[in-house]
Amino acid sequence: MIAKKVLLVGNFGVGKTSLIRRFVLSEFSEDYISTIGVRVSSKIVKVGNEEIKLLIWDVAGTNDDEKIPKAYFLGASAAMYVFDLSREETYVNLKNQIEVVQELSGLKNITVVGNKKDLLTSNEIDHLIKTISVPVNLITSAKENENVEDAFTILAKQSLN
Amino acid sequence: MKKTTVDNKDNRFELLKELLLAEDRKDFKLLQEEILESQKFKLKVDPVIDEKIEDLKQNFPEYFGDNITESIKVQIRESQDEVVEALYPIMGKLIKKFIVAEITKLSESINDTINNKFSIKHIIKRLFKGKKTDAEDVLQEVFEPIIEEVFVIEKDSGLLAGSYSRGKIADKDMVSGMLTAIKSFAEDAFSKEGQDLEDIKFENFQLSIQNFKTIYIATATSGVINSDFKDELFDKINNLAEVVLRDRSYLSDEEKLNKIIIETFIKDE
Repeated sequence: MIAKKVLLVGNFGVGKTSLIRRFVLSEFSEDYISTIGVRVSSKIVKVGNEEIKLLIWDVAGTNDDEKIPKAYFLGASAAMYVFDLSREETYVNLKNQIEVVQELSGLKNITVVGNKKDLLTSNEIDHLIKTISVPVNLITSAKENENVEDAFTILAKQSLN
Repeated sequence: MKKTTVDNKDNRFELLKELLLAEDRKDFKLLQEEILESQKFKLKVDPVIDEKIEDLKQNFPEYFGDNITESIKVQIRESQDEVVEALYPIMGKLIKKFIVAEITKLSESINDTINNKFSIKHIIKRLFKGKKTDAEDVLQEVFEPIIEEVFVIEKDSGLLAGSYSRGKIADKDMVSGMLTAIKSFAEDAFSKEGQDLEDIKFENFQLSIQNFKTIYIATATSGVINSDFKDELFDKINNLAEVVLRDRSYLSDEEKLNKIIIETFIKDE
């Protein structure tokens, strides 16, 4: 089975960990995770006839003020940038933040996901997507388990390219 | 029928009673109604209360577990001396029992090793051995160092290329990912550029990490690790790295790599 390292990045509180919790069950303690700033979880995903073991590195934040070791981004085959649809500060600098992830990871394509769909109306979401500087690949709700599986399938497909 | 005088008197008496006790009767009636009402209420409420009590009996830990734990924590925090005093006799006995058992085991093991070491066969052997002291010899045999785990991990991605494990690790891929993350974190936080994390001590285990160009090899060992064992281990790690880095097909064939790990580290044991 192929194993791929994939990244999950985005500001604090956007719901990255909730997305992972919906997708896999993590066994590491929270104290540990907050100390080193990353959580590694694994999940087997089927893409076509192929099974891929995703090693998901949930990196806490990408801001300059958050001292995250650059090594966390190395060797990744795909990355998902998650922002919170209900908090402007998590997508106001989306373009720059994605460029930072691209630079650190060496990846060209980053899957952009807007989470917390359940907190906005469909009109608000449509309007918001138009105003955001980068194309949004998927809108999810970890709380209502909407499009979570799809987001990770996109990530798995991307890791094969 | 015409009423007699006596009848009239009785009636007057009754009338007087009615007049004088009217208020009391009203109170009595009210009291009676109240009692009846409360009896009716009791009949309605009794089963509900029984049900609640039963529910409380069944689910007490769930309802109050957290509060009780919290109260105990607070109590322990605020009255540490009293708690220690109360627990000391019990804990002391348990610890004493455990230590006695462990020392007995240890002394048996040391006796066996010493008897063995002073046999004619070993005295002759000792004449030919190098610098190793008898104490080192005995310690090494009592707490024999054991290679518990070997992980060959891709340096950047943290992906596991191959491994050997004596224990049962549920998800080795996740462990190698977290180990890589911890390694990166420690190197980033404490080291100067170009320096690598090499040793982690955890309970009875010593984790050694040897870095190579594209991979790193992590080994977990238990027991008393002396310099000879360490040298031997590093030799084995270097030999494995040499084989793997010369023929990169090992890194894409987990089964093949696992075989060579066992051949390198375990077959001599």
